[in-house]
Amino acid sequence: MSEHVRYTRNRREFLCEAFCGFGALAYTSMLQAEGLNPLAPKTPPETAKAKSVIFLFMAGGPSHLETFDPKPLLNKLSGQKRPASFGEAKYQFINGDPRLLGTKRTFKRYGKSGIEVSDLFPHTAECIDDIAVIRSCQGDAVVHSAAQYQVMTGRVIPGFPSMGAWVMYGLGSESESLPGYVVIPDPNGAIEAGMPMYSNGFLPSIYQPTMMRSGTKPVLNLDLPKNVTLDTRRETLKLIRGLNQATLLPDDSELAARVNAYDLAFKMQTEAPAVFDLKSEPQETLDLYGVGKKPTDDYGRRLLLARRMVEKGTRFVCVVSGGGAATQWDAHDDIEENHLRMAAQVDQPISALLKDLKRRGLLDSTLVLWGGEFGRSPEAQGGKGRDHLSIGFSMWMAGGGIKGGQVVGATDDIGLRAIEQPHHFRDIHTTVLHQLGLNQDGLSFMHQGRRERITEVHGSVIEQIV
Amino acid sequence: MLRRILVTAVVTASFLCGAELGKYTPAERRHWAFQPRSNPDVPSFSAPADKAWVRSPIDAFILARLQKEGLKPSPPAGKATLLRRVYFDLTGLPPTPEQMAKFLADKSPTAYAKVVDELQASSAYGERWGQRWLDIVRFAESDGFEYDTHRPDAWRYRDYVIQSFNSDKSYDQFLREQLAGDEINPKNEVMRIAAGFQRLGALRKNGGNQDIAFNRNEVMVEMTNVIGSAFLGVTLGCARCHDHKFDPIRHTDYYRMQAFFAATYEKDVPLSTAAEQAAWKVKNDAAQIPLKALKDTMKGLTGEALSEVQRKVAELEVRGPAPLPALFSVADDAEKVTPVYVLARGDTQNRGPQVGMRPLGILLPEGTPELPKETKTPRAELANWILDPKNPLPSRVIANRIWQSHFGRGIVATPNDFGRMGTRPTHPELLDYLANQFIADGWKFKSLHRMILLSNTYQQSSQAAANEKDPDNTLLSKFPRRRLEAEEIRDASLAIAGKLNPKQGGPSVIIPIDPDLLSVMYNPAQWAVTEDPLEHNRRSVYLFAKRNFKLPFMDVFDAPDRQTSCARRESSTHPPQALELLNGDTANRMADALAERLVREAGKDKARQIDLAYQLGTGRAPTKKEKQIALAFLRKEPLREFALALFNLNSFLYVD
Repeated sequence: MSEHVRYTRNRREFLCEAFCGFGALAYTSMLQAEGLNPLAPKTPPETAKAKSVIFLFMAGGPSHLETFDPKPLLNKLSGQKRPASFGEAKYQFINGDPRLLGTKRTFKRYGKSGIEVSDLFPHTAECIDDIAVIRSCQGDAVVHSAAQYQVMTGRVIPGFPSMGAWVMYGLGSESESLPGYVVIPDPNGAIEAGMPMYSNGFLPSIYQPTMMRSGTKPVLNLDLPKNVTLDTRRETLKLIRGLNQATLLPDDSELAARVNAYDLAFKMQTEAPAVFDLKSEPQETLDLYGVGKKPTDDYGRRLLLARRMVEKGTRFVCVVSGGGAATQWDAHDDIEENHLRMAAQVDQPISALLKDLKRRGLLDSTLVLWGGEFGRSPEAQGGKGRDHLSIGFSMWMAGGGIKGGQVVGATDDIGLRAIEQPHHFRDIHTTVLHQLGLNQDGLSFMHQGRRERITEVHGSVIEQIV
Repeated sequence: MLRRILVTAVVTASFLCGAELGKYTPAERRHWAFQPRSNPDVPSFSAPADKAWVRSPIDAFILARLQKEGLKPSPPAGKATLLRRVYFDLTGLPPTPEQMAKFLADKSPTAYAKVVDELQASSAYGERWGQRWLDIVRFAESDGFEYDTHRPDAWRYRDYVIQSFNSDKSYDQFLREQLAGDEINPKNEVMRIAAGFQRLGALRKNGGNQDIAFNRNEVMVEMTNVIGSAFLGVTLGCARCHDHKFDPIRHTDYYRMQAFFAATYEKDVPLSTAAEQAAWKVKNDAAQIPLKALKDTMKGLTGEALSEVQRKVAELEVRGPAPLPALFSVADDAEKVTPVYVLARGDTQNRGPQVGMRPLGILLPEGTPELPKETKTPRAELANWILDPKNPLPSRVIANRIWQSHFGRGIVATPNDFGRMGTRPTHPELLDYLANQFIADGWKFKSLHRMILLSNTYQQSSQAAANEKDPDNTLLSKFPRRRLEAEEIRDASLAIAGKLNPKQGGPSVIIPIDPDLLSVMYNPAQWAVTEDPLEHNRRSVYLFAKRNFKLPFMDVFDAPDRQTSCARRESSTHPPQALELLNGDTANRMADALAERLVREAGKDKARQIDLAYQLGTGRAPTKKEKQIALAFLRKEPLREFALALFNLNSFLYVD
């Protein structure tokens, strides 16, 4: 593991870091924009097509073979050994003498583009002309925790800032009353990599994620303590402001920023709950997302919440499908049972999100990214399951200036390895940043003698889709 | 643009070099940090005012540099400010009103020096300064990664660190024990615990197929990299995949350093008798029966039904018999020495030439050979090299860390990186002076603290406005104000509310958290809350340090993430901090307790309550205006809200 030691900096040094990254023009605008709100929006250094990102993270690793990457040959070879010509693969569990496993899913062509999508995603498939499917994704790890760190932070080890934190660092937040970087985990529980996969790593805590919970208090510390009324609390805040200002010297920007943080906090406390409350949505929209019916209710609610936040200026939302150990896309035992169950929860809501964003004119400025930490093996594990596979799998992007109705790259004929235009996670990250008007070299942070960036090794923009 | 070209160029130029012993150019050898320490002359002054200000050589170096820029030092801080400053600095806690009154009443010229000595002798000193070392060595009590398995004996290392600071153990001894305690004296428990240092990094375990070479390499990488950052102040880890891009550390240097750890393996040394172990086995076997029965019911289950059983299994596993005490340590295994190869891109599949032990070439004469393979105590040898008085780095690095802890910024602002990408020292002569002095005084922390704390530089006021010539105050024309750190805010709140449990040492405390927060843990059953509620009010250094879960209170105030070495903490300002101190559980519990204390000690008189609150929270009396505002508030609103407000005041959260 490379050792990365944070050293801190004062505000000026900190801005200088950004300055070195962004170019001279940005420096002044950042100083002005920053003012009293450290998360005030910043102008990206390059032309931005997207303002926000929604990452539909399918935890556990959905199978490309059952979803977006049809492989007729795999069905023909089902039950046989993998022909040597396809080369070797590293698996976490499969060993010995595995046999290929065909899929029971059927694929159909959708939209003007005629891209094939399986019967697990019929609703999503209706939006295929807005979607660019990348069938040649690659990562470096076949165990969950390491792969989850990599898809989120670019590294297979914990301790690095996540995509959401990097984006906040580069762009700040458009909203003063909502958190800028939000994770909406699956209420069934956390996933293997735990909190460090979402964290700000060595970036200052300003860029930390806000975790939305499923209960009546979606955000920690946003509710008043028991027995305190809003009127009283308003007076308490006036008291704090009054006492802090009584000792505040003119030109003391650091302490002035702290005084201001209380105003922003109170704004968030009083204004955010209305955004979290779905009651104001018309029945038609609720129905579109599948709210109020099984099995789409939960993911539907969470995606609707994501749309509402993005609409109000939240910069980055990660909506996780899959949590706990057995309620993920991690289909070791039975690919059929698992994927039918998991896809049924998310397909209609995802389609609804894309359609809803589009009709509201938000899809152009909102990049939607779909995928897991890896794909799944063409070989069977234990008869009817599939193991983890990191050398060839599918992700997709839509909106935010992405040119949809396209397929990027290809895996070989059994879906084992990306053989055409392979795209490592770092290319996915680079492309997301590119759509936001950021670039991987500019978006860097000096950390233990190294100018760290999300990609570690240089990534490429997937030019075909931008 | 130029930068982008550079980055691309160096990426494509990375290559695997051979196993030759490496040549270093004169330019590489000339880098300031690799130069022998100088014996700088202490600047002298003729003007009476200057002579009067210079109380120690530190002041002379600082004043000379200020004068070079046409700057002047600030007047001394007021006594009350100084006392609060030195209390937080040395103990992480505020002075009580009694301690404050006593100090203000002591008009003798040695009053301040006496306090410095008292505080250094208090056990709170080690609790404060120990935390700083724990940051650097990324101390945590769980493995991290997927299982984040708890390390039930890791607290012994934390206590070892605190006790080492409290007993003023010399730094050379401290370093030697951590690097090689098990090799030096395996029969000594303290030595064994200290050597647990080698195991502090995150540890990835996985089910299924094991990539043994990869896993072993990750463990050795953790052991190697921290030597560079903690002791040497070089970014050794950068040379894992290729020659260091900026510093004269070759790819081969990295693996030669790694070779010192080739025989090192984790070792838990039992502290129990054979009889205890037998009894434990009986209990554990019994606990396995229901566990196995439960696991058997998992067959055929999927989805939520399976998740439910898995949750129960996890809970049963946590409730099983507590593991017997052991020393969390390492030992050499001469039979299992891992062959060390130069790995292209750090990849175990990509082996280059095999190498043996040798310290960093840039600090050795050209052509120095590797150590013989038969070297019996490799880590003790490495410690000897690090501590060789001719090695210019370790004393500079530690002196700089101490300076940084007192002034918020090091003489070198990048304390883990003295290389070319690090910052240059603002006062190179002072750094060498401090390092020399530190060694001359027997590598003793407390002597160096004393020298710094008694200087006029440290005792300046922080109040001057920002100066255009030195806007970041790197030259110290005033004392740098700082925000309290996460632990200080929590500990001080507990202390002010009269709730702090001063108990020292022992197993770590798991405090209750909002039930919704458990859901961010992959295995929530691990969070087994410590039963005794009094334990929940202990100092933050004793709270369980879980790698994959930071307490929100700590997180929001920039506590480090414990994944990698943290040499200097961020100090940020943002709304979630305000929300934590307004609505969070800790702040509100302490506000209730403080309100009770105010009534108990100041009676019903509101003016007296306000006076006492200010004395407790800010170390001073309220100004007239503050008192007016507070009185107006208390005429209508509850005292506990005023108490809560106190924790939200800049005068509480900052040290002047």
